[in-house]
Amino acid sequence: MLDPVFYQFSTSTTLILLIGFYGLTFLFSTLASKKSSSVDGYMVANGAVGFGIAAASMTATWIWAASFYGAASSGYQYGLSGAMHYGFWGALMILFIYPYGQRFRELAPRARTLAEIMQARHGSSSQLILAVSNLVGSVISLMVNFTAAGALVSVLTPLSFEVGVLIAGIGVLSYTLWSGFRASILTDFAQVVAMMLVAIVLIPWIYFNMGGSEALSQGFNIITAEQADFFSTKAILEQGAPFFVAVLAYGIGNQTIAQRLFAVRKDLIKSSFITATLGYGSIVIGLGMLGMMALFMGMTPHEGDLNNLIPQVASAYLPPIAIGMLFILVIGSLSSTADSDLSALSAIVMTDIYAKNLAKGKIDNKKMLLLGRITMIVATALGLILASFSLDILVMLVFVGALWGTLVFPVIASCYWDRVTNRAFLSAVLGGLILFCLVRFEWIALIGVWASSLELIAAVGGGTVIGLMFFGFTNRNVALIAGSIVGVLCAFYFHDFLRDYTVLLGSLVAYGASTMICTAISLASNERFDFALIHERIQHFDD
Amino acid sequence: MLSLYILIWPVISAAVLFVIVRAFFKDMAEAKREERDIV
Repeated sequence: MLDPVFYQFSTSTTLILLIGFYGLTFLFSTLASKKSSSVDGYMVANGAVGFGIAAASMTATWIWAASFYGAASSGYQYGLSGAMHYGFWGALMILFIYPYGQRFRELAPRARTLAEIMQARHGSSSQLILAVSNLVGSVISLMVNFTAAGALVSVLTPLSFEVGVLIAGIGVLSYTLWSGFRASILTDFAQVVAMMLVAIVLIPWIYFNMGGSEALSQGFNIITAEQADFFSTKAILEQGAPFFVAVLAYGIGNQTIAQRLFAVRKDLIKSSFITATLGYGSIVIGLGMLGMMALFMGMTPHEGDLNNLIPQVASAYLPPIAIGMLFILVIGSLSSTADSDLSALSAIVMTDIYAKNLAKGKIDNKKMLLLGRITMIVATALGLILASFSLDILVMLVFVGALWGTLVFPVIASCYWDRVTNRAFLSAVLGGLILFCLVRFEWIALIGVWASSLELIAAVGGGTVIGLMFFGFTNRNVALIAGSIVGVLCAFYFHDFLRDYTVLLGSLVAYGASTMICTAISLASNERFDFALIHERIQHFDD
Repeated sequence: MLSLYILIWPVISAAVLFVIVRAFFKDMAEAKREERDIV
């Protein structure tokens, strides 16, 4: 029986939409890029990608299905500031990474992955920590995106969840497999154009169909004071702050970003990433407004599931053709992220697993390319299986996020400070991760001296986040001053307070502990590293 | 004010879209002129 809350497409319309979308994407990638026989090209294209494609690709990759659902849920839960607390901080992840991206390119113009730079700097163990965290992160991302496709198909069409998952998986693999990263960024361009056009049209369309300013203004009578406050403390602590803290972790840890940093023409990194920041922010915050508008109109999510908000709003306020556009928007967003994950996974397996570890100096390019393509097939199959059986592996994302948090300072410091050693790097990551687990899962009760100590470490973490943000755009002295001021302020405000917010406490402790350990061990060392070695150690595979 | 807060995002998206599309066609023309792949 059809659910009256949601508009239902017929089976034939659904198939036309999905096959049309993936068919056109396949055609576009086939016409625009030939099958890749170059391993470097398969991973980072020509290394001189232009501004338009680079900005579009970064925007499309960073917008995944969860961006829409998450932003709308945040808008619905936290009211006026909700969408901002999701989309604004997410956009900053793109912005704050580009100064470091310029440094990565300066150190290693021929690199394909960030893990590869860590291998040239410290050796295989540091490299494999980054590589494995990315493998896990990207497989989870694939699963989440395929799950979103299945959920959308099952809500808006007569087809089953599994059919939606399968079509999305096969569709994405079909256009990414032969040309790899080249296909990924070219189709990203087409997908982002479609996504933006749809967002530009649909947001005002829904706004006016709801009754515009007059109808929505009445919503202030039914929302809470907290939801009506743009500077809501609840929204900041529960949504904004954990996202803000994750800004650098996701930028540094995620190979999909690093891959684009290594692919874009070096002098275009800044302009591409600033444009992508604006593109991501405007689309995601805009779609988050749908959740806020639903709140103001007094809507309640179907069966209490906030993920139903967007299809529910669309079904209530849009005609079928516009719902079809929204359907394509969500499918486009999840596909662009999934193809980026496939490209990231293949680059990591080709470079970090095969070339730098298994091949032992005897690299066979044909074998490497085959391995990259097999990786894509295996990863898609894994993503499909995990999504189809709705396996609950999201807890692993907590670990991956924490791991990326512990990696931020050691990775950045390794690229600027010649005293950071492999021992300092590994101890910092391990120490940070252990403390994170103790906090996040409350293995030791957060009371007394233990809790106060953790709040102090978290304050160092807060100072680290701000310090690194300043460091990217200014210099070491300004960063140290800004970081120290924020660290002291955090120490004052966190005391006897942050222990009640374990998510935020855990994330900041991961940053703080890894920074302290890495700094202490590095200062105790007499070793000095010559950064020119990184350039020498990373060569083109195609030469 | 609420209307501006809601409707400003599609306007920014439109501006970004214009910039990206214009740059893409410029890149494409340049690649064609230099007889190389765009990526």
